[in-house]
Amino acid sequence: MSYRSQIVRITAVCVLMAAAGSVPSRAQVLNSAARPISLQAVLNDSITVNLSSNAVNFNLVRGSANNPGDRSITATTIWTLTPLIGFVRTYAYFSSSAAALTDGAGNNIPSADFQISDNGGAFQPLNTTVPFGGANAGRRLFNQFIFINNRIGTHTDVMTFNINLAPFPNLPANNYTGILNIQAQAF
Amino acid sequence: MKSGFLLKIAVLLLAMTCVTSMSAAQLNSGAQPIALNATLAESLTLNLSANAVNFTLAAGNANNPGSANITATTTWVLQPGRTAVAVYAYFANSAAALTDGAPGDNIPSANFFIADNGGASTALTNTVAFGGANAGLRLANVAITNANRSSSRTDAMAFNINLASLPQLPAATYTGTLNIQAQATP
Repeated sequence: MSYRSQIVRITAVCVLMAAAGSVPSRAQVLNSAARPISLQAVLNDSITVNLSSNAVNFNLVRGSANNPGDRSITATTIWTLTPLIGFVRTYAYFSSSAAALTDGAGNNIPSADFQISDNGGAFQPLNTTVPFGGANAGRRLFNQFIFINNRIGTHTDVMTFNINLAPFPNLPANNYTGILNIQAQAF
Repeated sequence: MKSGFLLKIAVLLLAMTCVTSMSAAQLNSGAQPIALNATLAESLTLNLSANAVNFTLAAGNANNPGSANITATTTWVLQPGRTAVAVYAYFANSAAALTDGAPGDNIPSANFFIADNGGASTALTNTVAFGGANAGLRLANVAITNANRSSSRTDAMAFNINLASLPQLPAATYTGTLNIQAQATP
């Protein structure tokens, strides 16, 4: 092998090595920096009450203790709460204890004579003070302690109604109307 | 006598001029090479128009859109040999894309959706080049040719959190970090 051919071969090897040295940067992936987006999603506390119906009629008998309503109504309380909430309570109430129902002529049926049986329990008058409505014009239907396992939940109260006219033997014949409210509270 | 003297001087000057011009035409130095090496480094960058999105969630609701869209602008200058640029969105963990910090109170990446450039809203359920398994989505894949070795693209992203499959998610503030990143291959 001549000296010239040896030089040519060495040069060729050097060129190939140089070329090979430039290849790896192409073979590897090229990544941009990761750009973060901060996400914040707030699921607020919620509590709702839905009623199966919103009207009840009574055929009253003067002086009678038993004047049932013509239907039951189911109140469904639904809540989604944070862990800091301690209780969910559902209340029934009137705005005035003296005149739960009235004929508009000064003749009234007090809330103490309006009774609710909740989920088959005993009939109870609306004669306590609750967070809503008038003084001595309400009743608590439901009370639930809230912990981690029931921060989301539902409860139903099947309410049957009665008007006790035993204390009012002289209530005039007339059409008596009123508004009973059902409301829930989480605290 | 005087004219002869002047003639001799003229002949001498002419001879000196000829010698000088002959030597300048034939004398070259050797060529001295200067090696030039100019490198235009590859670059791939991704910038965002904003870096925060808020959501007001409704329990059990499928539609909880983000408060703002964000545009990702990917810019590249690539060497010959590159064949594609892909843009990815991903979370570090598919099970807890967002969390309130309490055990089990998480929003998975499968419930987080991105609509890219007005396209369909798509969940982050794929395993991509970055992030956790099944926690990503490829937003774009651009084939690279000689015509676009130096180029850019934008991805306008709209966000949504679907809570239809999480009706029992407790009320709380859920936070997380969505990453957007690009990769040139091979």
